[in-house]
Amino acid sequence: MRTQKVQKDAATFLLYALGFLLLWEWLRPLKELTDTSNITVFLMFLVLSLMLAFFGVSPLLSGFIKGLYIIYELHYLYYDGSFFLTSWIPHFAGELAHNFGLLAEREWPSMTNLFRSLLFFTLLWLMTYLIQYWLINRRKIFIFFFMTLVYIAVLDTFSPYVANGAIVRTVITGFAVMGLLTFNRVLDKEGIKKEASLSRKWMVPLALLIAVSAGLGFAAPKAEPIWPDPVPFIKSYGQNSGGDGPGIKKIGYGEDDSRLGGPFIGDSQVVFRAEVESRHYWKVETKDTYTGKGWVTLQPEEEYLPFGMGEDIPVSSFIDNGAVETVEEKSSVLTFMNYPHVVYPLGVRSINAPPFITFELEAATEKIRTLDGGRPVSLDQYELGFEKPKYSVTAMKEAASKAGTLPEELMSRYTQLPEELPERVRELALEITQDQTDWFEKARELERYFRRSEYNYSQTNVAVPGENEDYVDQFLFDTKQGYCDNFSSSMVVMARAVGMPARWVKGYTEGDFKQSAGSGLRLFEVTNNNAHSWVEIYFPEIGWVPFEPTQGFNNNVQFNFDTAAQNANRQEAEEPKESETPVKPEKTEEKDLEKPSFSIQELWESMKTFAGKYWIAFMISILAVAAMAAVFYLKRGRWLPYYFIWRFKQTKEDEHFPKAYLILLKELDRYGLIRKNGQTLREYAKYVDSFFTTKDMSRLTARYEQLVYRGILKEGSWSENKELWENLIKKTIA
Amino acid sequence: MNRENMHTKIERVLENIERVMIGKRDVAELSLVALLAEGHVLLEDVPGVGKTMMVRALAKSVGAQFKRIQFTPDLLPSDVTGVSIYNPKEMEFQFRPGPIMGNIILADEINRTSPKTQSALLEGMEESSVTIDGVTHRLEKPFFVMATQNPIEYEGTYPLPEAQLDRFLLKMKMGYPEVAEEMEVLNRAQRIPPIEALEPAIDLVELRELQQEIKEVHVDDTIKRYIVDIANRTRTHSSVYLGASPRGSIALMKAAQAYAFMYGRDYVIPDDIQILAPAVFVHRIILKSEAKFEGITAEEVVERVIARVPVPVQRLVK
Repeated sequence: MRTQKVQKDAATFLLYALGFLLLWEWLRPLKELTDTSNITVFLMFLVLSLMLAFFGVSPLLSGFIKGLYIIYELHYLYYDGSFFLTSWIPHFAGELAHNFGLLAEREWPSMTNLFRSLLFFTLLWLMTYLIQYWLINRRKIFIFFFMTLVYIAVLDTFSPYVANGAIVRTVITGFAVMGLLTFNRVLDKEGIKKEASLSRKWMVPLALLIAVSAGLGFAAPKAEPIWPDPVPFIKSYGQNSGGDGPGIKKIGYGEDDSRLGGPFIGDSQVVFRAEVESRHYWKVETKDTYTGKGWVTLQPEEEYLPFGMGEDIPVSSFIDNGAVETVEEKSSVLTFMNYPHVVYPLGVRSINAPPFITFELEAATEKIRTLDGGRPVSLDQYELGFEKPKYSVTAMKEAASKAGTLPEELMSRYTQLPEELPERVRELALEITQDQTDWFEKARELERYFRRSEYNYSQTNVAVPGENEDYVDQFLFDTKQGYCDNFSSSMVVMARAVGMPARWVKGYTEGDFKQSAGSGLRLFEVTNNNAHSWVEIYFPEIGWVPFEPTQGFNNNVQFNFDTAAQNANRQEAEEPKESETPVKPEKTEEKDLEKPSFSIQELWESMKTFAGKYWIAFMISILAVAAMAAVFYLKRGRWLPYYFIWRFKQTKEDEHFPKAYLILLKELDRYGLIRKNGQTLREYAKYVDSFFTTKDMSRLTARYEQLVYRGILKEGSWSENKELWENLIKKTIA
Repeated sequence: MNRENMHTKIERVLENIERVMIGKRDVAELSLVALLAEGHVLLEDVPGVGKTMMVRALAKSVGAQFKRIQFTPDLLPSDVTGVSIYNPKEMEFQFRPGPIMGNIILADEINRTSPKTQSALLEGMEESSVTIDGVTHRLEKPFFVMATQNPIEYEGTYPLPEAQLDRFLLKMKMGYPEVAEEMEVLNRAQRIPPIEALEPAIDLVELRELQQEIKEVHVDDTIKRYIVDIANRTRTHSSVYLGASPRGSIALMKAAQAYAFMYGRDYVIPDDIQILAPAVFVHRIILKSEAKFEGITAEEVVERVIARVPVPVQRLVK
């Protein structure tokens, strides 16, 4: 390699300037994140060093200048009095000696600021040398550029430093530097003179490209991060607790619901397996107080109702009277995760667990905790006996008139709404329910409202309400995207807004069907992905009735639509069947809503649901296809020559000779016999022949030369040369 | 004379030269290429490697009239071109032709003479005619100048200016022979100099015919483009102050035609271009002084350019 001489042209100056900008990005956050108060001094040092490098000042002189500058600045920062009064020098020397002593003793934290500044100057000195080396000698800066990006990204993620501007600046500067360096590198390699016209040809597209891409990137809508913010994740991992609070959470059962919203990521860890007679949801707890951001309990003081095995479980569910028909069922649960509470179905009557276990019900949330000698303990296995309700619609329709009989305490507790709740939520609730008079139909109307296509089920693209926003309001009117918490909270709030007592229930769905366990039992597996929330509304004399507003979910609650109800609501005659259909309720529902016309929207929705359901399968098949294609491509040496032989064997047209020859060149290249740019066909043919110890390539090439350089395509030349060609291309088969 | 015949004749000329010049087939080939392409050759090498012998062997092999001009600082243009002398008997000026009025001329140590004398020769090379006392004398064809120049002595020399160098089709070096070859040279030197025994392989008429025939050698557009690409690349090279001129491109094409013909082809292939490009371009390129200080030579530049310019492997589609 030739020695690089000092170049002092504008392009080199630009390179140095851009290098300075990149270095600057490293210094910018210091002011904000460290106790460095005077960045300018260091920036000036960078400018000075790079200028000296640009003008090619001899190392000795430039070292002297830089050293002088450092000492001057240290004096300026840490000493009073004139620089030329030498009185500070002994003190300075003493401090240096002291700090070197500290270094030797590895007492790094106690080094003085002066010494730390000196070390930092030294670091910058090294950095400017490296920058010069990368820019001028290596003509490569990608590593530094990449490190700068990583540095900024890490700071942005883990520190208060906001790097919105920094990342844009760095990308622009970095690409400009890399573009310039590539230009220089290509010129060096090809030995081409640097000319203004040539530079223009390169620089104008480069500048345009950077400007357009940066402009586009700046103007384009910013997608939500695909990966969740890793910080809370890492923190929660460190603390070994569920991700709480707003922001991005991992799906699963968490206790704190006071700030809802934000995307979820899936987690397929198994929570428990259950053998059940019929599908049903699993409750864990309920919440009664909506804050505008999430759910809390009204009674924060812990009040527990203890009960033992075989005793009545003091859970409030439906009231056992004629209005609710019940069927007794049993389910058994095998837990995989250690939670000191049980999951239970609606209407739970008994829990069968080891005899030493006692239970207590958290009055505020109706969470059943398991205790062993007063200490919380998690059960491995337990059996639940419960009564499966079938609600009488007639009775529920009459409930509205009996609303006055409900105790005041219950009404006020379960119709609570925050004062800041935007008025439009109430208005919407009233508007939705205005055509209905009884509570049941009102509830059904609310439930159905969320099946509208403008609402989308999504776990990833979910907003967190801002300081002055309401969680429900934001979902209902602005984002219209969300998961169970959004749907269920919204329905509870709207039910309360029209005067129905409602509460928010947390737990799990029935899970994924695994296998039949014999004697009518079915085994379901419930994972963290099945964590769910839904709605219960209290009907006088009936009790709590679950509703399911979330798109794509079905609670399998049975309603007994008797004739009276049907007559009253003829138009909804089809409804009972619908809710009793255990599988795919959303499909029938949609049909019902938009029956008159087949809409693309609907198709899109169903496609989305379909894709949502089977996305893993999709991903796997796409990956599989991609992998197969990759293997196919990598192993092309095994089949491609056969294809070419087959393709050219049939033809006798002479026009195919040049095509076949060029393909042969390509195949030989793939085989590893690479023809250099300046290598003539003749030389290459000799090389190929010496490799394969044949003469075929030279013979074939001689004929091809005649064609290319003489312009003569002899008749029948392809038929003559086919054999040579075939011999050669067969040799390229891996 | 059919084409097959022509090739055997060319081969015989080369054999003839080889009989005298041992192991210098490449120089012989290039000299013959220049002769066939109606160009001139500049031989640059130290004394005693057989430059003169080469030219004489070539002249003898084609049955041409051989003249030699030894250039010295005091040589005058008229010593080259000839002079009109007053003949008192016939009472008029009579033209006495100089050594330039031959077929094959060896201009030995051309850089030793004054630019004035140099240009007299060079004008003759370029125009195929000399003008003396207002009378233009056409030079007989074929007219072939082989100039030599000694690269190690600079004192008292007048290096040929770049514009003059352009007049030479090819510039080459002889180089020392291999050990075995040099021993063979010694062996032969003990006997009668073989040059004396050399018989012409072709005559001048045939030579002119060959020169005509060579112009018919096909140069495809693909190849022309390749030539232009190479020439262009020498112009944009970072070490080059002045690249190859269009005259250089023409020279390369003509030389390639002759070379292809010599190898029995009626079309030019990229190999011809690659072999001839250094000889055609090296003396037409002026390097930057920085590059010279860095030790870069024009040969290296041309080699790099040839290595970088892609060889055409497909027909140029217009």
